[in-house]
Amino acid sequence: MTAAGFALRTDGVGKRYRKGWALRDCTLALPAGGVIALVGPNGAGKTTLLRLIVGLLAPSTGTVEVLGHDVTASTPQTLSRIGFLAQDHPLYKRFTVAEMLRFGRACNLRFDQELAEHRLARLGIPLDRRAGTLSGGQQAQVALALALAKRPDLLVLDEPVASLDPLARHEFLQVLMGAVAEGGVTVLFSSHVVHELERVCDHLVVLNRGRVTLTGDIDTLLAEHRLLVGPRTATDLDRAGTVVEAVHSDRHTTLLVRDGALPAAPGWQARPVALEDLVLAYLRRPPGPGAAVAPGVKA
Amino acid sequence: MTWLIWRQHRTEVCALGLLVGLFGAALLALGTQAHELFPGGPARCAGEAGISDACTASFRRLDEGYGYVENLLAAFYLVPVVIGAFLGAPLLARELEDGTWQLAWTQAVPRMRWLAAKLAALAGVTVVLTGVFTAVLTWFRQPFDAWEGRFQYDAFDLEGLVPVAYALFAFGLATAAGAILRRGLPAFGVAFGAFLAARMSVALLARPAYATPLTAMEPVPAGGSQAQAGRRPVTGFADWTIEHGYADATGRRLTSAEFAELEAAADRAGTNLNQFLHARGIQQFGVYHPADRFWTFQLIEAAVFVAVAAILIAVVVLRVRRRMI
Repeated sequence: MTAAGFALRTDGVGKRYRKGWALRDCTLALPAGGVIALVGPNGAGKTTLLRLIVGLLAPSTGTVEVLGHDVTASTPQTLSRIGFLAQDHPLYKRFTVAEMLRFGRACNLRFDQELAEHRLARLGIPLDRRAGTLSGGQQAQVALALALAKRPDLLVLDEPVASLDPLARHEFLQVLMGAVAEGGVTVLFSSHVVHELERVCDHLVVLNRGRVTLTGDIDTLLAEHRLLVGPRTATDLDRAGTVVEAVHSDRHTTLLVRDGALPAAPGWQARPVALEDLVLAYLRRPPGPGAAVAPGVKA
Repeated sequence: MTWLIWRQHRTEVCALGLLVGLFGAALLALGTQAHELFPGGPARCAGEAGISDACTASFRRLDEGYGYVENLLAAFYLVPVVIGAFLGAPLLARELEDGTWQLAWTQAVPRMRWLAAKLAALAGVTVVLTGVFTAVLTWFRQPFDAWEGRFQYDAFDLEGLVPVAYALFAFGLATAAGAILRRGLPAFGVAFGAFLAARMSVALLARPAYATPLTAMEPVPAGGSQAQAGRRPVTGFADWTIEHGYADATGRRLTSAEFAELEAAADRAGTNLNQFLHARGIQQFGVYHPADRFWTFQLIEAAVFVAVAAILIAVVVLRVRRRMI
């Protein structure tokens, strides 16, 4: 893949706050096109990573390159190609929706006012209402319409549906996926919820305690991993391939393996693994330097 | 950007504009009447010329009619901090508080351009509002200045250049506090407190030292009532006397205890205090800054506050530039 094929590349990115490192040794290369999910528990460093990607923060170490440009340069050209929807979708609460659109028009090189108005009209969001008086779901939709009206090449969303009720969540994702279907935009969003991802995402990045523990194309990851179930055993686990996790019950041992051969020993069965179980297995792995060399990390 | 800045800050700008407008109009109305007491203009009654009967009468009527306004003017010490801090505190703090900094700085306007536009516009409004108000107040005080000079705290701090410098200082303080505290109201409070502390210490400690004060010393005159003793006649009415007292014939300054002894001795002798002091060669002295240093002092003090304001703004710019917020 050529450099232009990457929406985003980070190299050894770390971010240190006064309290300590929020993110360490983050090296990623995410392809353009499609939907990328950034998954991790609360406090894993997802927001920090996303803010670094859109240039709101400067990395303490390493470099961030978005769409082939160093994002810390913050030129209007680079900024206009990135759309960002921050957590809790902040808006100027006392602006009317129309004024929010005027804000977008005033602060951007390209801004598709018609597109935004069209989207909002379809959702039945009145332009003369103050943003602060809209429901949470509507505020999220206004923020999304603003971000999409920039016609960005990369759209970054931080926990976009976390604060929404199920109905608003569904509507939000519908609009977002509609925009993806129209093409031309790479979407990167963070979530601490793992289910539903399979349906929506093409690519996955798992972040835990400030480190990337897994990254890859979802279909490839699922094909590479499998569950091996057999009689309880504590020895010779390596024989089965790279073991990500071993779980023992009274009578059985379940191994999550990567690049594993089919079970040779009698009584062992191979099963495909669900995405959620895969992510959880990686999140449960012990932290520390060992995690950084875990399989799946393109370090 | 112009529309955005106006839309975001119009409430503060309008409220402060209204405040300045109302007080300004009231001062203009009262000041016109006060000026009418001085047919030839208040400047003609300043200083030695003020001894004429007409001027004395004018001053008396000024004091009776408008003296209360002059006392109220003390509250206008706060005008610069109100204007500066009201405009400065929300500049960054409100964005940080509401999370909208993430919205503002991910549009196509780079954050440094955003910041420069906001700082320039709001500092400009600060200067204009404070400048207009100060101009009206300086004009209003002309009759009072003719009477008392311009070096007292209730004149120097309200007139000329320094109020605008104070306002810029308050603006810088509030903006920096907002950037660091990330909350509007605490930023305003901190700016207010720091402003008062800085203003008071500069006025009381630094300002008298802007230049070496002059010392005037002359023997106590034999005549005059006791009441006139100690009324520092050695310095002019418009000079800024920072210290005054008595000294013996050699010029050694008397402590208050020594002076009290002399007073008691004069009492026991049953003589007029002034004659008593005169007979002993006691001198009175005044340490003062002459009135013509007014603009020099204004320039120095304005420069001090503008310089500190510039440093505070530089801190804000640096923090935003380094993406510390």
